[in-house]
Amino acid sequence: MDDRLRETLSAMMDDEADELSVRRLLSHDRQDEVRAQWQRWQDVRDLMHETHVPADRLDISKGVREVLDGRHSALDRSGAGALRASTRRWHWPAVAMVAMALLVGFGAGAGWDSSATGTVQPVTAATTDAAAPQAPVREIALQGLDEEQWQQMSRYLLEHAQHNSVGAGRGAVGYARLVSANGGGY
Amino acid sequence: MQTPTAHRHPWSTALLIVLMAFAVPVLSDEQEASDWLKRLGPALNMTSYQGVFVYARGDSVHSMQIAHRYHNGVVEERLVLQDGGNGEIVRKGMNVVCVLPERGRVKLDQVIPSGPFAEALTSQLVPVSRWYRAEMKGEDRVAGYDVVSVALSARDAYRYSHRLWLEKTTGLLVKSQVRNADGEVLEHFQFTSLRIGNDIPDSEFEIRTEGREIATTLDAGKPEASRIGQMDGWHLGWRPDGFMPAAAPRSGKGQAVAFSDGLAAFSVFVEPAGQVDMPTGASLIGATTVYMHQVNKGGSGFLVTVVGELPPHTARQVAESVRIENAVAARSESP
Repeated sequence: MDDRLRETLSAMMDDEADELSVRRLLSHDRQDEVRAQWQRWQDVRDLMHETHVPADRLDISKGVREVLDGRHSALDRSGAGALRASTRRWHWPAVAMVAMALLVGFGAGAGWDSSATGTVQPVTAATTDAAAPQAPVREIALQGLDEEQWQQMSRYLLEHAQHNSVGAGRGAVGYARLVSANGGGY
Repeated sequence: MQTPTAHRHPWSTALLIVLMAFAVPVLSDEQEASDWLKRLGPALNMTSYQGVFVYARGDSVHSMQIAHRYHNGVVEERLVLQDGGNGEIVRKGMNVVCVLPERGRVKLDQVIPSGPFAEALTSQLVPVSRWYRAEMKGEDRVAGYDVVSVALSARDAYRYSHRLWLEKTTGLLVKSQVRNADGEVLEHFQFTSLRIGNDIPDSEFEIRTEGREIATTLDAGKPEASRIGQMDGWHLGWRPDGFMPAAAPRSGKGQAVAFSDGLAAFSVFVEPAGQVDMPTGASLIGATTVYMHQVNKGGSGFLVTVVGELPPHTARQVAESVRIENAVAARSESP
């Protein structure tokens, strides 16, 4: 990581980085280095301010990227002055998004019981609506497939398992699904 | 403020007490279950353990030996296939080496999608409790360890229910089941032998199988993230509430997108219909449904396939909601 990128990171810490430099930083091909540096500085700052980041190893680069992309058209139209103002704003939406998402997770779940049932109702209505075609789904027996058909189907199974494996936070279950899809044996 | 109503109607106070007596345990039970689930994600990575687990779905059963440790901030893992062909997967942080069995076709760069948020997305950011009712199911013992059992019952008919067993001190997932609405177990994962502890020798993380070796470094800066939920020339008209776009598998031809509600996931593939004539309908392999059907647009046929841990009628509904808008774009080969 060169000095210019380090400077951008430092500017981001102070909420003063401009969009172009942030984009350059996000496209840097050693993202792990960038993240590590960011994390170190955050840690130092947190230590100084004694604040606590709820999920300290969370990677916000995707969130930042999304906010940048979402704002793109607006930025094109507005001038450099607006850019300055919006760069100040985008930083917080990204952080806010992450914080929101974390809050919306399990922590808040317990209190939702009644409201969640409320939102489920239209879904149930949709189910009854779809009840007519809910006549049994036609089942294709795997044994009835010929070699080529089975090959095609197992390719889909494998691709799905690959996506749904370890990165999805499933650990060993993910690997197991993958091996099961790969090994065949049906 | 005074509460004169309570004095005038003593029964209402009594009713309130009765209601609270019912409400409080239910709430704390759900809270306890979510507290356990919050530990699940970190425990999968940060716990060091070794053992053997079995995985059964449909009529196939596999067993694998696993060693996993969190060492100097890096995840190290070694998995050895216990049946079928020889094979093993060794992972050290982002470096993966795979010794494949004869028929192996595992694409390493997709085994561990390492894009930003890959882990956080599914384990933390999706509000699982909106789509599943979490409930404590008591204590048990699995592979010699004391565990707590958490039931996650689907709140609607569009998904399956799950049951998880977590080791009491670490929160490690040691057993899991996927069940349908009738309570029938469709998929089963379970450790049969397990040892949790940090003292795993380095030798446990070395490759020992002779064979075709493939080494890959998982690159965090892949453009995959930008492809999340992206569909060219077609769109999904409907999907069950709560399923969010997830890291997309890359299909050989045509496009694929993936969705997850935090527990279950499904992938949708849209490809030009090839020479192989695929039947319309659902094939079931344990908890996994493969639903295929063909659509025609602009004189050309497309094969729509939904694969996921979904009930067959949900998979069909998703597959039938696919609309091809631009036959040319949908035919384009993905990079």
